Amino acid sequence: MNTNYVVEMKDIKKSFGSVQAVKNGQFTLRKGEIHSLIGENGAGKSTMMKMLYGMYPFDAGEVKINGKVYESINPKLAIEAGVGMVHQEFMLVNELTVLENIILGFEPKKGLTIDFDAARKMAQSYIDQYDMDVQLDKKISQISVGEAQRVEIIKILARGAEIIILDEPTAVLTPQEARRLFEILNNLKADGKSIVFISHKLNEVMEISDRISCMRQGQYTGTVNKEETSPTELTKMMIGREVFLNIEKKAAHQGDVVLEVNDVWTSGEKEISKIRGISFDVKAGEIVGIAGIDGNGQSELIEAIAGLRKVEKGKVILDGVDITNKTVKQIREAGLTHIPEDRNTRGLNREFTIGENLVEVELDEAPIRKGGIINKAAIAERAEEMIKKFDIRPADGQLPTSSLSGGNAQKVVVAREVNLGGKLLIASQPTRGVDIGAIESIRSILQNVKEEGLGVLLVSAELEEVMSLSDRIIVMHEGKITGRMKADEADEEKLGLLMMGGHNDEEKGEHHE
Amino acid sequence: MELGKIFNSSLIYATFRSATPIIYAALCAAITQQADILNIGTEGIMLIGAFMAVAVSYLTGSWLLGVLVAMVSGLVIAMVMAVGNIKFKSDICAIGMGINMFALAITKFLLNAWLGQSGTFMSPDIKSIPKVHIPGLSSIPIIGNIFNDWYITEWFVIVLIVVLWFVFYKTVWGLRLRAVGRMPMAAQTAGINVNAMKYQAIAISGLVGGLAGAHLSLGYSTMFVENMTSSRGFMGVAAMYFGGAHPVFTAIGCLVFGFTDSIGARLQAYGVPSQLVLMMPYVVTIAVLAISMATKMSAEKKRKSSLVSH
Amino acid sequence: MNKKKKIDFKSVANVLLPLVLALLVGTVIILCMGENPITAYIALIEGAFKGKLKLGTTLASFTPLLLTTTAFIIAAKAGAFNVGVEGEVFLGGIVAAYIGINWTFLPKPLLLIACFVGAILVAALWAFIPAALRVYYNVSEVCSTILMNSVALYITNYLVSGPMSAGAANAQSDPVTVTLPQIMKPSSLNIGIFIAIIVTLLTIYILNKTSLGMKIRMVGTNPANAEFAGINPKHTFIKAMMISGAIGGIAGAIEILGVHGYFLNNFATGLGTNGMLAALIVKNNIVTAPAIAFFIAVLKSGAMGMQQATSVPKSLVDTITAVFIIFACMELIGNIRKSKKKSDEKKA
Repeated sequence: MNTNYVVEMKDIKKSFGSVQAVKNGQFTLRKGEIHSLIGENGAGKSTMMKMLYGMYPFDAGEVKINGKVYESINPKLAIEAGVGMVHQEFMLVNELTVLENIILGFEPKKGLTIDFDAARKMAQSYIDQYDMDVQLDKKISQISVGEAQRVEIIKILARGAEIIILDEPTAVLTPQEARRLFEILNNLKADGKSIVFISHKLNEVMEISDRISCMRQGQYTGTVNKEETSPTELTKMMIGREVFLNIEKKAAHQGDVVLEVNDVWTSGEKEISKIRGISFDVKAGEIVGIAGIDGNGQSELIEAIAGLRKVEKGKVILDGVDITNKTVKQIREAGLTHIPEDRNTRGLNREFTIGENLVEVELDEAPIRKGGIINKAAIAERAEEMIKKFDIRPADGQLPTSSLSGGNAQKVVVAREVNLGGKLLIASQPTRGVDIGAIESIRSILQNVKEEGLGVLLVSAELEEVMSLSDRIIVMHEGKITGRMKADEADEEKLGLLMMGGHNDEEKGEHHE
Repeated sequence: MELGKIFNSSLIYATFRSATPIIYAALCAAITQQADILNIGTEGIMLIGAFMAVAVSYLTGSWLLGVLVAMVSGLVIAMVMAVGNIKFKSDICAIGMGINMFALAITKFLLNAWLGQSGTFMSPDIKSIPKVHIPGLSSIPIIGNIFNDWYITEWFVIVLIVVLWFVFYKTVWGLRLRAVGRMPMAAQTAGINVNAMKYQAIAISGLVGGLAGAHLSLGYSTMFVENMTSSRGFMGVAAMYFGGAHPVFTAIGCLVFGFTDSIGARLQAYGVPSQLVLMMPYVVTIAVLAISMATKMSAEKKRKSSLVSH
Repeated sequence: MNKKKKIDFKSVANVLLPLVLALLVGTVIILCMGENPITAYIALIEGAFKGKLKLGTTLASFTPLLLTTTAFIIAAKAGAFNVGVEGEVFLGGIVAAYIGINWTFLPKPLLLIACFVGAILVAALWAFIPAALRVYYNVSEVCSTILMNSVALYITNYLVSGPMSAGAANAQSDPVTVTLPQIMKPSSLNIGIFIAIIVTLLTIYILNKTSLGMKIRMVGTNPANAEFAGINPKHTFIKAMMISGAIGGIAGAIEILGVHGYFLNNFATGLGTNGMLAALIVKNNIVTAPAIAFFIAVLKSGAMGMQQATSVPKSLVDTITAVFIIFACMELIGNIRKSKKKSDEKKA
């Protein structure tokens, strides 16, 4: 019995208010192993590790790090115990430089001031040792997502982490960059470090892990050795049944062009996400999928089309009507519906009820509005109808949407937008943060929308989702289109290369400066 | 109107003199702003500081004691705001305005019940902050007259600007404070105690705010008048926005207001109605605030624009 | 809708507990002064209610306060912190005075309406300025409205000491030629109180029942989602601020036309601020705010009585009110229970 455990978590419980995020948490980590923690969204795997890192207190149970029992942990204690965590949303301050972010909390001092020279030397030694491409003097707002992740890794190595937790690290990487990351992880493992790899991508988990543990709905469901299992087995552990996410794709009956994006330029939050000259179209009855790493301008492009960001040059035409820089209301009236990538800020108003959220686009029209007054009966009717049709739970139109799970909240957004009909549906990261059941139903809803003759513009950071749903695929990198192809011509390798900036031969002629 | 009588070398000192209380208030607000806490209660902290300084100076005959008690009072009031906002999650504007109203009421009450005065309180027993007289400086033309006979607290405000600049941008505490203000999660996961940093920032801010009040009632003037801060605390907050919470730029903003104030005082001698003159600093503050925010917005827009390449 | 109608005990406690604490603080101060707190508080209550004059005065104090509270709240629902209600009251007053004095070519009933319309328009425009600065240039409206209050005050001071003055020594204007009928004489209570109640009810209706009200509430809670749904958050914010200003203007007009009969310098000092106070205490709940506004009117009204009967100055009441609001901001009940729960869980 190998008792060389660097981490032991036993009988862990954690609740957030009335929601029990972890009902029965168990986890062990051996020295020098890569141990993956899998489960679908909301299973509790992230929460378990955040508690190990001291970001939340655990309600019950025992945590041992290197044999020492911890009654309570905070990040400072965790760091001292040799634990480091690379989070899904990077913990980096945009306005500070890479170097300042690396030393934050552990700044080398020279008298009263910070010793930046010593800091630089230290950071550079890790950059050289693990062969990472990182520029110390750039501000975080100026670097790419892949580079930001490397900064996060250096941060934790610089603090002497021996236990490294990575939370969904490949969500923001191309397949090629993911392989590069795995090289780094194997180097770290060879150095004696112990690694926890949280992911829902089963093929990656199969590639990198020594052992794999699974959680489902807050419960620990078991641990297996990599050699003794397969993706199908793992899926069964995660959801308790077999799931076919790759729904049979229905053929596209392409009609007329419903969306024309013509040489569009828009502003961008970062330099690489500025859109400089994008042109493409979407026809009725087809799904066009935009593939690309999050942060390469997809958000900005969608915002520009939907009227949420200024188009600085170029035109957007919806079914023959020029909607460039029109108001959101006018664009919606022209036939655009939109499932936004951020359902909590853009998609829903969490203080308002399910019913109110379902009708929020129609506050100036009958039957919702009658003579300036809001028709509450009409809202209740709409709520009942939509809840039934889209299987929203709990089935109470008076509940505030803040009480809904991720999947059900997304269903409210999808229900509202699909019900509006229109000519073009934009679906931006439609299954992000959503449980498998809801993922299945949302994907089949998108297929139905296409069948009804609308055009669908899909944006997703999940390559598998883009490939399984789209009829045509466009790849974006740093604000430009690097490739276009029919879905059946696409494969992970090709798309991955394009997502990193490699060009398709066809695209060379279309580049704008 | 003789322009020569309005614009002369004494205007420089008058501007600085007028600006100093506002600079103190602005620095008070800037410290907490670096932690992303809007110190709307600056006005109240300053007013309480002003009162305590006069009261203690009057009763003990020591200006220094007055200043110190004023600073401690500022600290105490600021900590009430801190506990309310950090521990009890009150809206900072709500509790800040509560503090301001409290300051107005309690200073009026104490003036009445404790010192037996009302309205304006002047007395030869109030010891003011001494001036720094440099012998021989007056003999240097122009410069000598501008820099001589400054109050200690006027010299100190310059020191404070430099010290804060150094602390914010060169020290460990400053780096952590700025991280807390811009992305608290990043600071927390780096092992920094975010709440402790916020409490420290508010505490120091309280000390500076109390000092602001002490300078107002023992330096800039030697008296206590009900509501004597007259929104100077808010002008300080506006200047803080103007300067992006950077000590030096913030101070420059205050000089603009001091300038307007001083010009106004001179214009009054030429028959311009007093209310219009008194209005000027406020109007100028709003205008400068609007222009500076608009400029920042447009610079941000340009940075994000695709039409410009970097 | 049933869930919203149940009495929220936590909210009630969160107002009562701070009140009790504030009164306790007041008691301690009164004791330190060597006075009897019970005598003082009784004098306060009598000062507010005993007799027709006192009761009338309390209700007359309540009238503008009810309006300024409502004004602050409707702006708050859109996410605006409109400290500028104070200035809007002053400007509403001066415009009502001007029209009431000079537009005598209008028959009396029309003149009265014109006074109100003028007050509403000017006050709404005054509120437009900080609203526009906020939505277009991101200027904090807390800062700008506080500064604009001083400007409004100086403008009215200037006008009433100069062009509109009734005489060199007086800080007031000529009498207006039309006034609001007074009731409950000899107090200054007038039919303005009914106007105030109607305006408040109308505002509650607009906020909770109309499309505009829903948009205001959506923008106030999540402007990104409102924009996404096709609502224009900038326009909605400005509309809410202008309505807020208009209501403040009405309060000013009522004071001039109903209470004083002419423009009196500094007549409105504290009216806007106290309205804001009441609103913050109930966390901008438009239905319960009038009760707190009335309570504050009682306090202010009774303070004079207390000062006359004992040596406790009026400013003590202001202090108690300020302490009330400081405690009310902190959700004492919720947070104390939360930290107790945490330490209980640790022990388990």
